[in-house]
Amino acid sequence: MASIATACRISTRLVRGTLRNQQCSRCYHASSTALSAQSFTMPAMSPTMTEGNIASWKVKEGDSFSAGDVLLEIETDKAQMDVEAQDDGVLAKITQGDGTKSVKVGTRIAVIAEPGDDIPTLEIPAESEAKPQEGQPRRQDRPSPQEEISSGIDRTEGSESAAESPPSSKPNADAAAGGAANTTKGPASSTGAKPQKQAYPLYPSVEHLLHAKGLSKEDADKIPASGPSGRLLKGDVLAYLGQIDKSYSAAQSQRINQLGHLDLSNIQLAPKKAAGPAKKTVAEQLPKDVPDLPVEVVLPIDLAAAVACQKRIEDTLNIHLPLSTLIARASDVANDDLPRKNLSPTSDELFYDVLGSSVSKIPKVSRGHYAPRLSSFDPSVSTKEPTFRKPQSDIYDLLTETNKSTARQPLDASTAATVVPVNVFSLSVPKAEKDRAQTFLQRIKLVLEREPGRLVV
Amino acid sequence: MMLKAFVPRSSLRSISRPLGGSTSAFRHTPSSFFLIESSRLRRGYATETEEKDLIVIGGGVAGYVAAIKAGQEGLKVACIEKRGSLGGTCLNVGCIPSKSLLNNSHLYHQILHDTKNRGIDVKEVSLNLQQMMKAKDTSVQGLTKGVEFLFKKNNVEYFKGTGAFVDPHTVAVNLVGGGETSVRGKNIFIATGSEATPFPGLEIDEKKVITSTGAIALEQVPKKMVVIGGGIIGLEMASVWSRLGSEVTIVEFLGQIGGPGMDADISKNIQKTLQKQGLKFKLNTKVTNGDASGEGVKISTEAAKGGKEEVLDADVVLVAIGRRPYTAGLGLENIGIETDTRGRLVIDSEYRTGPHAHIRVIGDCTFGPMLAHKAEEEAVAAVEFLTKSYGHVNYNAIPSVMYTHPEVAWVGQNEAELKAQGVKYKVGTFPFTANSRAKTNLDTDGLVKFLADAETDRILGVHIVGPNAGEMIAEGTLALEYGASTEDVGRTSHAHPTLAEAFKEAAMATYGKAIHY
Repeated sequence: MASIATACRISTRLVRGTLRNQQCSRCYHASSTALSAQSFTMPAMSPTMTEGNIASWKVKEGDSFSAGDVLLEIETDKAQMDVEAQDDGVLAKITQGDGTKSVKVGTRIAVIAEPGDDIPTLEIPAESEAKPQEGQPRRQDRPSPQEEISSGIDRTEGSESAAESPPSSKPNADAAAGGAANTTKGPASSTGAKPQKQAYPLYPSVEHLLHAKGLSKEDADKIPASGPSGRLLKGDVLAYLGQIDKSYSAAQSQRINQLGHLDLSNIQLAPKKAAGPAKKTVAEQLPKDVPDLPVEVVLPIDLAAAVACQKRIEDTLNIHLPLSTLIARASDVANDDLPRKNLSPTSDELFYDVLGSSVSKIPKVSRGHYAPRLSSFDPSVSTKEPTFRKPQSDIYDLLTETNKSTARQPLDASTAATVVPVNVFSLSVPKAEKDRAQTFLQRIKLVLEREPGRLVV
Repeated sequence: MMLKAFVPRSSLRSISRPLGGSTSAFRHTPSSFFLIESSRLRRGYATETEEKDLIVIGGGVAGYVAAIKAGQEGLKVACIEKRGSLGGTCLNVGCIPSKSLLNNSHLYHQILHDTKNRGIDVKEVSLNLQQMMKAKDTSVQGLTKGVEFLFKKNNVEYFKGTGAFVDPHTVAVNLVGGGETSVRGKNIFIATGSEATPFPGLEIDEKKVITSTGAIALEQVPKKMVVIGGGIIGLEMASVWSRLGSEVTIVEFLGQIGGPGMDADISKNIQKTLQKQGLKFKLNTKVTNGDASGEGVKISTEAAKGGKEEVLDADVVLVAIGRRPYTAGLGLENIGIETDTRGRLVIDSEYRTGPHAHIRVIGDCTFGPMLAHKAEEEAVAAVEFLTKSYGHVNYNAIPSVMYTHPEVAWVGQNEAELKAQGVKYKVGTFPFTANSRAKTNLDTDGLVKFLADAETDRILGVHIVGPNAGEMIAEGTLALEYGASTEDVGRTSHAHPTLAEAFKEAAMATYGKAIHY
């Protein structure tokens, strides 16, 4: 007993010196003797987790938190998880802010202090030692085996002393056994078993075994637990006591965990051909969706009227107006107020729409941004899409009968001698915009064929 | 000035504005443009429908559970089902109707054969098959209507029709009542389930050559029945018709009944009991040919390893060689979702399909055991992946139950699997003959068998054959879920006198010694 008391006293002194450098990754377990703040490291949320992203901190620097508060959200390749505080404390500093990617397990992500600590005066521990060794997540709360062998006591923080190792009649042997246990426990921890507070009632077999071996209920929290959700299993205690191989229990848990997942390895895909005939019939019934392939919209436009107009301007005003200018202006006019289809209304528009405000109705049209390509007449192109071209222009002929008779008649007469250029205007647009592009081209056609004069004013 | 002559007056105002201005040039131009605009608008807005948060294709156990769960989580859900009633295979033609028949046929059989020694003299017993079927239909209807009610309660929109993918976010629905519609969804679950695998060469007519669907709706008790496949479905249906008076022969290709998951000891045990009940087994036997052209059906068999041919005559042949994923007509080709060689839709660990992360697949049409409760777990997990981005199903703790009498149930691994993995294990058993409640019930066939790790005592598998095994396995599943050791079960109080005490005693026999054996 005396030796333990001495050990405790020495340890208190040692702890003051060493804790500064020594990392306590579990840090929820702040020892009251710690003068400095402690590193809060990236926790391993699952046995297989090696790194994670910090989604967001839920506690701000300088804020205090109590046990159970969500400190931050961590993203792994599998899921997003909340990290809860296990103890009361103050978040002194965030070293890895929101959105930090690929933070290795065990790397310091924040510094926390005891509640009531004066944060500005706290020493921020150096980070270098917080770096975990690869494959040994969350081992930093224990000293390395060498350290342990050399001092044998500095790991016995405060009153939690001998609990780390199984009790035996002689404290010396105890320390040795603990050291041995720790060195051999290396692989066990790398498979994910780690000691943690047993929040649930202990299993009857575990409780029984602890009693039989003279271990207290608090000791259970020191035993690496490999069960579901960190529960302590009979096998864990047996491994801890050295009755079975140290790593066996954890390895077994890993094997059983694997059984818990669907085996999606070695999937043999069905050959594509099998789907061939079925594909065809379905494709016939259902329109196939190819949103990414741009479609070509073409419309031949008779530029005779434009040429005539150009000629007339030249004759009367003695100004040569290039045809390209006329076309550019025509496309500008046609671009105005095209029906909007794929544009979603802005939030302001939606807001006014909800209010029923007549002032700002969601506009059903918007300005297009099309620039037509122009090529000289090509019969092969014109026959390509005959459906919308001819009948449409017929309809407009009918509908704009009056225009035609008044405006076009004289033009025809004047341009009879000149060569009538028929040009093909084309546009390459995403499929979804086909209608819009057609509208655009028809408007150009209308302007250029019917009333090119408007473009000059 | 001269130009004004040929510029139409009406268009002057608009055209004279600077080109490219934000206001309309066409609004105020001649009437022909209005026509363009209005027709354009109609086309632009006509097809837009409300987008759902989740569309579930299939209203079976996977589908309806997912839909209800999603509705409870506040998502806008639509569920598409073509059967006309919800619940899928399980509720309509599977688990539920077969359990009705199993229970009632067992009662009939017991009254017929097992009352005298209990001190009950029953004079005349006769079978009214139509009434038995009616009782079954009433149960089924009640349950499917119940699901429909739950849809309403949880704001699930129910489409009665056949769904097919048009594009990755749109499902066209060919309505049962005629007509067609389509739904768009941010997320889509495929839960189209499975169908009975047909036997090559035997055309299913559900009268003479039947699947499980026909086996729960026969109009009269066949004199002779052959069951191809000695798995769970085959044995359950064989039990029903054998109890009602058929002479049933089961032909199984493998050397044991109950399918590959059933522990070999348990399989032998239940086979003996079923043989006592009158079922005939032909193991290691394959069916080479079937001929249904005559009055009955002729089934040619030979020993699986060759030789020894035999022809079996039957009035009805039940094909129960397994089930396969059902995805026909779903339009999977339109969205590029792949299947494996057995027709299962390929998914990742979060049930997402490869090309489309918003499409998930759950239940029988993907990997894992084809069990209703597995589908149910997956449905909840898949919805939780949507709402909480984390869901989990422990596939190691999914029980299997065969509802013969006695029942067979197991969870976890069996001896063969443990041997294959090289795991050292110990076995503890306890027979129902030593259980007080089974004794008083005069129903003592069967045993409880624990498989536990030789070193850690952790429970690796629980296998039960015996009365009420299906209920008892829940305890084994719970133990497995919690990583319990047999000692944990053995130190837990079990009421006396119950059948469950056999469970506890078998656990005790694994880590120590049973008291009563």
